[in-house]
Amino acid sequence: MICFTRRSLLRAVLGAAVGVAGFASAAPADEFPAGPINMLVGYGAGGQTDLVARAAAKVISDQLGVPVNVVNKPGAGGAVAARDLMQAKPDGYTMLFHSNTVVNSASFIMERVDFKPDDFEYAGMITAYQVGMATQKDSPFDNITEFVAWAKENPGFSYGALSPEARLYMEEIAKKNDLDANIVPLQSGSEMINALLGKQVVLAFSGGIHYRYPDELKTISALTTFRHPSAPDVPTIEEEGYPLGMDSRTTIFLPKGTPQPILDRLGEALKAAESDANFKKVTDAADIPIMYLGVDEAYQEMEKTYAKNKEIIEGAGLAAN
Amino acid sequence: MRRANVTSGIVLAIFGLVMLFAVIPVHIAPGPEGVMSPRLVPAMMMIVVTGLAVLLVITNLRAERRSGPEAGSPVSRSALIALLKIGAVFALAIVLYLWLSPLAAGAALIIGALVALGERRPFVIVLMPVALLTALWLLFYKLLGTAIV
Amino acid sequence: MSALEYLFVGFQDVVDPGILPWLTVGVTLGYVVGALPGLGKGTGVAVSIPLTFYLEPVAALGMLIGIAKGSGAGSAVSAILLNTPGEPSSAPTALDGYPLARQGKAQKALKMGLYASVIGDFLSTLILIGLAAPLASYALMIGPVELCAILLFSLTFVGGLSGRSLTKGLIAAALGVFFATVGLEVETFVPRFTFGLLELEDGISLVPMAIGMLALAEMIVQAGDLRTLDAETANIKDGTAREDRVVLASEWRRCIPAILRGTAIGSAVGILPGLGASVGSFLSYGATQRLSRTPEKFGTGMIEGVAAAESADNAVVPSSLVPLFALGIPGSVIAAILIAAFILHGLTPGPLMFKEQPRLVADVYAAMICASLIMLIVGCTGQRVFAQVIKVPLRLIIPGVLLLCSVGAYMETGSIFSIYVMLFFGVLGFFARKLDFSFVTFLIGFVIGPKLELSFRQSIQILGHDMTNLVKHPIAVAFIFLTIAVVWWIGRGNRPAAAARHLEPDVAAAPHNTGTTRNQKGG
Repeated sequence: MICFTRRSLLRAVLGAAVGVAGFASAAPADEFPAGPINMLVGYGAGGQTDLVARAAAKVISDQLGVPVNVVNKPGAGGAVAARDLMQAKPDGYTMLFHSNTVVNSASFIMERVDFKPDDFEYAGMITAYQVGMATQKDSPFDNITEFVAWAKENPGFSYGALSPEARLYMEEIAKKNDLDANIVPLQSGSEMINALLGKQVVLAFSGGIHYRYPDELKTISALTTFRHPSAPDVPTIEEEGYPLGMDSRTTIFLPKGTPQPILDRLGEALKAAESDANFKKVTDAADIPIMYLGVDEAYQEMEKTYAKNKEIIEGAGLAAN
Repeated sequence: MRRANVTSGIVLAIFGLVMLFAVIPVHIAPGPEGVMSPRLVPAMMMIVVTGLAVLLVITNLRAERRSGPEAGSPVSRSALIALLKIGAVFALAIVLYLWLSPLAAGAALIIGALVALGERRPFVIVLMPVALLTALWLLFYKLLGTAIV
Repeated sequence: MSALEYLFVGFQDVVDPGILPWLTVGVTLGYVVGALPGLGKGTGVAVSIPLTFYLEPVAALGMLIGIAKGSGAGSAVSAILLNTPGEPSSAPTALDGYPLARQGKAQKALKMGLYASVIGDFLSTLILIGLAAPLASYALMIGPVELCAILLFSLTFVGGLSGRSLTKGLIAAALGVFFATVGLEVETFVPRFTFGLLELEDGISLVPMAIGMLALAEMIVQAGDLRTLDAETANIKDGTAREDRVVLASEWRRCIPAILRGTAIGSAVGILPGLGASVGSFLSYGATQRLSRTPEKFGTGMIEGVAAAESADNAVVPSSLVPLFALGIPGSVIAAILIAAFILHGLTPGPLMFKEQPRLVADVYAAMICASLIMLIVGCTGQRVFAQVIKVPLRLIIPGVLLLCSVGAYMETGSIFSIYVMLFFGVLGFFARKLDFSFVTFLIGFVIGPKLELSFRQSIQILGHDMTNLVKHPIAVAFIFLTIAVVWWIGRGNRPAAAARHLEPDVAAAPHNTGTTRNQKGG
């Protein structure tokens, strides 16, 4: 919302006239926050990330003593919300709670998205996505190596993919081992669960919701650089010799130029979520591990994953930009 | 209605052909080998629309020749005026939303529509936006804990 | 304890003063939100998510289910009274409900709508309670290949809903499919017609599109006819005669088969993942019209049409919980949102929940049955209030509806782009109504088209690019034959009628009945 009120304009003119540069700028950080904060979420209401965002908003609101309004702005995997955030005032009163994939992988995959880590400021990261490969509990393989051996005997198997990254994984594994895969396009996480339980596909890419079905489904590979807290015995894809681990975490984004003290204040408030009982109840219910990173660590994580994902996705010949 | 059918048939056929030959090839990439082309379904639908639109034109022309011309258009003057009035009210509301605030936009929408539809009692023109916008404010900011930005 | 004993305990739990009021709040909220044009289930759920965080599990789940159930019944109200369906799934309700209301039979139509809703909902709830486990294992046999064949079969009913001109109905359906292709294609991730707009990457969302097409367009049309309509309204003698107020025994006899058929269709559609309430009510209305002795009278105020559409619409909600409860798979958007809420409140949907938390499950079941009864009470009270709307002059109603439409569209994405989408389809819907192109078939195309394309793409991969693999999918083969049979039957049985529609495209558009039949079907 571009909204120049007459008063702020007047103040800016006055400020310039008097020659006090800071006079017209936003309130100093020690007063932050003086009013309600809007927290954008790039997914629709009721989804997994939305629930985590609302729980985090509650914690931040308690910490800062002001209301935190959650505003759902779904569209293009969060790119619409991120673009809107870029145009917001860098005063800490508008932030985005979203997966960092909107910067570190959408930029390479979506034609019209080209965010760089330096386009935003980060107040921290709070939870990680347990992205993995899931299959039925009774499948005759427990990791990628065993799967490849099985797939050589069973050409034309079906693999469920719900994103370009999901296709990338199977295409890379198939290329390296000369497998014949039928990649079935899926639209959503629930459709993926459906396809697995109905045995329409033998293997599927999952953003982590398959952990809700511990009696029917198992994980054969963690597609991250760390082993999943929900399945510590399952090796990561990197451990099995494919350097394709791509990490994603829920991150608090702020517009470029937000003052450091405001970032620190928000980062501190977010840190409280790490030990908050209600927040843990929400994340535990959905098998989402809490992995807090502070302001500086979050920026480093962003830079690191951006460079790594760029290499992986461009290496696979998939990049759009 | 026959005249209108012929006109809408011609418009639809042109729309279909433009889509088929100009928009689809330029705006949809052909897609990778080995899977169904992303152009297939839109193109199929435009072929169906163009074909049926031509059929619509032919049957209506034939019917008209048989029974002679008719008077009147299905889109009456008052309907078009209503469309323009409501369009103008929305245009005003959107401009106010972009330049001023959602609140002003909401008030403009209600007051504009009331006036455009012939309501003149000042009591109603003031009370209705106040009541509706207060209810919305309560819903969004107090009950839902969200904001209109 | 036996299952029945559990259910008995469940009822005792639900009647608790800490739970029953919340259930009532949920149903009432859903009913009101559903009855207001422009707002629908999505809005109701958005309202409820933050609220239920602070409730007891049974109260929270009861309230959410109450909202879902209530909004299904409420959406019939605006469809009948204002010809602006609260949800796409109530679009067929308006086809006959609004003409009934203009004939002064609003009370009758509203009552039938409510009774059909409650019966459909109640029977479907019983199906959920009694048969969740065995039915769900059948639902799993329905994969993309079967779904593709079922969708193809559903499409054969489109022609029946196309109103006076079959050609124009089919054009509208094809345009519906066409507009639904906007956005990223799911298999190749190629953007289609996004014209560089990020907002279009996910496609045109159903909610703002439907609000524009169904509610906004109708309001513009009514604004154009303000004087005629208000004059008519003054003459409508609402509720003077008993036979206009209540559902007569003879009408019950005609409607009961339609309601039972609607319930069966709605329940089946709900159990199958990925079809949705709109498909249920369209199919049910189409089937009732096809099986009627007087199919040509549909769209002029046939009460069976209201009964068929509403019973199916409401039967979808409980039965879409069958795969959720038995397998943990969400079968509908509402179920997908409920799953998160269920887990949050300590009930993980799936086969284990019956073993681990039988009492909580029994409470939820009891709450669902109670919600059906509450729906009847809330509906009976509510429609008395809402029926007064028909006497209010339109110039006072239209501004309010325009605001609600804008709010409903805005809430879907939290962005003004949705308002632009709504306005675009509002104008399209305006001309569709004036030129007699059926917006109902447009909606069906829009809803079914993309599902058909995706399931076809999935089928190609699952069948390994080899159509002979179809023999491994007998259900799909059965539906393909059924589709062929229905097409053949329609082609043979309806040929004279269809031909007449082709050759005399506007037999019914004579000036004398533009007053009351103007808004029916595509008009």
